[in-house]
Amino acid sequence: MTRRLGPSLLIGLSLGTLVGRTAPALAQTTPPPQDSGAGAMSGMKGMAMSPGMQMGPGASMSMPIPMPAGMPMMPGLIGLAPPGAVFLPGAGVDPATLPAAAPRTVVRLTDGDTLDLTAALVRRTIHGHAYAMYAFNGQVPGPLIRVGQNATIVVRFHNRIDLPSAMHWHGVRLDNRYDGSVGVTQDAVPAGGDFVYRVHFPDAGLYWYHPHVREDIEQALGLFGNMLVDSPSHDYYPPANGDQVLMLGDLLMQADTLIPFGATGPDFVLMGRVGNVLLVNGEPSYAYQAPTGSVVRYYLTNVSSSRTYNVSFGGAPMKIIASDVSRFEHEASVASVVLAPAERYIVDVRFPRAGRYALVNAIQAINHVRGEFVPEVDTLGVVTVGPAHATPDYATQFATLRTNRDVARDIDRFRPAFDRPPDKTLRLTVATNALPLATVQFMTIDTAYFAPVEWVDGMPDMNWLSTSAQVRWILRDESSGKENMDIDWHVPQGSIVKLRLFNDPRSFHPMQHPIHLHGQRMLVVSRDGVKTEDLVWKDTVIIPVGSTVDLLIDASNPGAWMLHCHVAEHLGAGMMTVLHVDPG
Amino acid sequence: MIARSTAWGLAWSIVLGSAGGAQGAVGPNLGPYDIRLFATPAAPAVTGSARLVFAPSPFGVSVTADGHALYDVRVTAANLPAPASLGPYATYIAWAVSTDLAHWVRLGPVANGVSTVGPVDLDKFLVVISPESSLVAAHAGPTVLHGTSPSGWLQSFLTHPLFRGIPE
Repeated sequence: MTRRLGPSLLIGLSLGTLVGRTAPALAQTTPPPQDSGAGAMSGMKGMAMSPGMQMGPGASMSMPIPMPAGMPMMPGLIGLAPPGAVFLPGAGVDPATLPAAAPRTVVRLTDGDTLDLTAALVRRTIHGHAYAMYAFNGQVPGPLIRVGQNATIVVRFHNRIDLPSAMHWHGVRLDNRYDGSVGVTQDAVPAGGDFVYRVHFPDAGLYWYHPHVREDIEQALGLFGNMLVDSPSHDYYPPANGDQVLMLGDLLMQADTLIPFGATGPDFVLMGRVGNVLLVNGEPSYAYQAPTGSVVRYYLTNVSSSRTYNVSFGGAPMKIIASDVSRFEHEASVASVVLAPAERYIVDVRFPRAGRYALVNAIQAINHVRGEFVPEVDTLGVVTVGPAHATPDYATQFATLRTNRDVARDIDRFRPAFDRPPDKTLRLTVATNALPLATVQFMTIDTAYFAPVEWVDGMPDMNWLSTSAQVRWILRDESSGKENMDIDWHVPQGSIVKLRLFNDPRSFHPMQHPIHLHGQRMLVVSRDGVKTEDLVWKDTVIIPVGSTVDLLIDASNPGAWMLHCHVAEHLGAGMMTVLHVDPG
Repeated sequence: MIARSTAWGLAWSIVLGSAGGAQGAVGPNLGPYDIRLFATPAAPAVTGSARLVFAPSPFGVSVTADGHALYDVRVTAANLPAPASLGPYATYIAWAVSTDLAHWVRLGPVANGVSTVGPVDLDKFLVVISPESSLVAAHAGPTVLHGTSPSGWLQSFLTHPLFRGIPE
């Protein structure tokens, strides 16, 4: 046999392949829809388990990782491991010696108040097994900070974990020096160190805080919390009978073992670490009880490193109200809510009848070996609706789709810029070196189709073996050719910047990127030439593979602001730049 | 006449269209939203292409509650003859067809120029354009244009040497 060493330059399909694709017989290999059920190890169904596998803190990385059902590990990858040392928090500490993580509490603060926020090791128990992880003030998620619009609070951050850290106030248009961008606005806070932040909240809505150092570890293991900023207007949102603040996350585990992290940089860099245990507010199942007819307001945040969600509530009608930095111009009925990492959506859900409504994440995965779509349904929790009727009855208000004229008026001064040519263009792409040969071989032949969104990690073996030493994710300025932190963009304060993002489908590994801009707000004015019908202010925007997305940035907040992919491993592999908004 | 509304007829027309080869590259050489449409002997002068565009959504990507991508289809066609010239037909209709040819979903009317129809929520599908007797008629007319969704190019590597432990 002749061993092929060169890259694939051209790929063709035989006519027989083309005709064969339409044969019904192919469909018989498609597994049935999977549902792990509430409280189950959601993503663990069908995982390929290695007999006798042992793993714990400090173990080597030569363990196989969980593979999706029906997906074999490529023989050419067996026995390989990512280069470099591994990391798990606590350096082998017995989790039993750590304080147990507590549920989140609500901290109501007013203008001028001070909050001490301490990141520290805790013990988290998931499906009966204890792990050393992280928490803010001993809580997962961290305390829900509830403040009024235009309040300013002081947060004394105390880093008591075993890594450097820093606090980023995601989506908040605050003073630049408190943005928490390590290397841009501050140095990392060393283990044992402290930092004082002043956080001003100019916009009502849902925000979140998380570290901006090794997010792939710190955020994934519990360092996240929400901020809910209340408008002074009592009817800012429609009326609701209750509210729930949910942070959706995931962990990658093999049986009862947490898959360790790269010590010097992220692994799973090709598509980010996609967990197989789905969590709501840090727990593997969510439960809520409501009376019949209840309208429940859900404040949803995606805190996963890489996973994009498509969630719904067992067919209960939903109404989209708001996203990252504002309400929508027009409320709209939706069948499900799609959340890319770091995005927030506020939705009202009405539970019309007594019964159980499953909160599910339902997606179509791709089996890259069989070349098939595979439905996956993970049940994240259950809302139990009792026979008593909700009072007041907000059925009429729920059925009314409001127009938020103040939002539209606020946007009006930006509309003349919607159709102008972009001021700046970024191409999203990737460069690799020294990846395992089998990875390179497969990825150069599996190029006939790239899904606009990869909802799960279809090839976790290849992904695991890709580290930030081998993969560099790139934001490339199309006008200068400069990349990532070499880009030197300056715009005057008060300007409106039209930024075009193009996610190159011909890169080595195209996938979607949730692009986040710190400290400003932006509008998605068009996607692939189609104008956005219902505008909302955003700070994080998903860019599907092959898509061209035009953004208008309201560059009103002076300072040096990071623009980056919010897939933690992509950020850790360089996919970031800085937009300098020069004081006017 | 080859292009009929039967599965075999469509499969055969696919072979003919692909074998022609004169219409340029397909699949890998197009973007993830682009569909090359092939003419059939029913109307060989027709040319066309299609582009998938996410249906309007607050989320940037549009999917159904069970996760199927939801696309509008922007069809660009030229040289479509008058439908009546092909038989008792009044309009052209675009269809999304499951890859086993069992399910035909009416996407909407198309004409020469650009027509946006849809939405379609099939994972893999064919786009078929045929003349029909009315906007609401069941599918009956001959295929004049057809193409495969980009997702249809997903390949099986189950027997590839990489997955059998055989070095390439």
